[in-house]
Amino acid sequence: MSAILYYTASLKNELIKLKRTFAFWLTIISAVLFPILFIVAYIFEHETLVPAAGINPWEKFMVTQIENSTPFFIPMFIVLITSLIMQIEHKSLGIKHLFALPVPKSSIYFGKLSIVILAIMVTYLYYYIAILLSGVLLGFVYPDLGFLNFSPEHLRYIKILITSFVASFGIIGIQFWLSFRFKNFVIPLGFGMFLAIIGIIVSQAPQQSIYFPYSFSVLSVSLGEKMPLIFGISSVTIFSIMCFLITSVLGYLNIKKLNIK
Amino acid sequence: MNQLVVETKNLNFSYSKNKKDIEDLELRVPKGSIYGFLGPNGSGKSTTIRLILGLLKKNSGTVALFGELFNGQSRLKVLNKVGGLIENPSLYEHLNAIDNLKISANYRQKISSSRIFEVLEIVNLTNAKNKRVKEYSLGMKQRLGLAISLLSNPELIILDEPTNGLDPKGIIEMRTLIKDLNKKFGTTIFISSHLLSEIEKTCTHVGIIRNGKMLYQDTVASLKESKETNIKFEIEVDKPIEGMSVLKNLKIENISLLDGFIQIEVKSKNEITDVIDVLRTDRINIYQVSIKNNLEELFLSLTEN
Repeated sequence: MSAILYYTASLKNELIKLKRTFAFWLTIISAVLFPILFIVAYIFEHETLVPAAGINPWEKFMVTQIENSTPFFIPMFIVLITSLIMQIEHKSLGIKHLFALPVPKSSIYFGKLSIVILAIMVTYLYYYIAILLSGVLLGFVYPDLGFLNFSPEHLRYIKILITSFVASFGIIGIQFWLSFRFKNFVIPLGFGMFLAIIGIIVSQAPQQSIYFPYSFSVLSVSLGEKMPLIFGISSVTIFSIMCFLITSVLGYLNIKKLNIK
Repeated sequence: MNQLVVETKNLNFSYSKNKKDIEDLELRVPKGSIYGFLGPNGSGKSTTIRLILGLLKKNSGTVALFGELFNGQSRLKVLNKVGGLIENPSLYEHLNAIDNLKISANYRQKISSSRIFEVLEIVNLTNAKNKRVKEYSLGMKQRLGLAISLLSNPELIILDEPTNGLDPKGIIEMRTLIKDLNKKFGTTIFISSHLLSEIEKTCTHVGIIRNGKMLYQDTVASLKESKETNIKFEIEVDKPIEGMSVLKNLKIENISLLDGFIQIEVKSKNEITDVIDVLRTDRINIYQVSIKNNLEELFLSLTEN
């Protein structure tokens, strides 16, 4: 049996396990949270938000939303969703069963990690769809906002979202390892939330926090043009991917040797 | 019967530095047997099972399954022939029985979907197959756990306290199921329990463990024989003190009074009749006579200091 077969079986199973779980719903709730807040804000303030003639209202709507909410929210979302997905396994005492099956431990670890990443990607997708729908909805209710007269510059916004996603990659590796390692929900959650908040605070000092993975999500947006480049690529992107790769491999090596009590 | 399905040599393990949790354990489970692994709570039964399945890293010694050393290379091959139920079954409570079985079947691969319904039938859960496991009783969960371990038609099934928390009916069902599997398919079954009566009724072989050390290991039959010289029994009478003085004439050496019951040890069953006759001639009313379980005594004497 090749490694690919084990891996796909593991992926398939992780999807079954997500059925009817809060983790599944959290991806949807998180995605619609900010678009709903923006709808409410636009309803109350719609008179002041009517754009000048010829101005594309999507630009302000999308950019304020993506740049002012996502960078702060995403690290916390990752902490929460990773803990929740692993908690499905811990709650059912699943790890002892999985590790006693004739299946390589790597397929279990990386299968689960892939599902966590997929859940985060899907959330981004839902989020993007939710923003678009909320804009269209506002356009119908208040035609003077002009949402129906212009179309959004999709490529530009998707690029911002992808940058934010890649910048968050580093902490996925760390949080997943912690959540797998500790049965107790509070440890990865408390640790992650604490560092996510620290990350927001220290991002005020970009020169130092550029080495702190929990700040990457904010830095990827706040630094803008001032982002230091390595080989022409944003250094946050490179550090984030490196952090992800290192912590995923170390995490796996640690879990593989772990005594399952 | 000589082939060993599980064999450990000088197995040592400790969770912490200052205490040995498993010490020089030599476990030998013959093929086709129902092996009862007996010991009080905290004696190292679950730890041993986890060591056999490679969930814990042993400090020293070897574990061999099906005559093959268990290590990184042989792990997948060996585990393919094993089905396990370790302590509380690992079940996804938000899913139904079919999904739970499907997950294990997917991991193991090459398991047909008809096999899922087969094992549900074996453990008598067909009617509850679409119910979420959350709504199951403890006994049903235990049975579903067993069904999962049966999926791959394993040659060895390891069950850790399978009757824990089951009601009497559930215990009897589990016992019948285990015996059936052994008889029909020749499956070797390794059961751990802290209840001697369980092991005695189900198993062909027994290993008794205390504080991580194997105290006794042989067939159940020879365990029984080793203690069959004397028969201990107790009698409930209306006037125990009078009864005691009457029985003194019989010249029985071991006789005592405990909680209002007369405790007697005799060499043959015929002597029990003698005791009853003597009591009845003196018009002492007898309410019950019961032979005490020798194995229980043996178990207690082995496991207590």
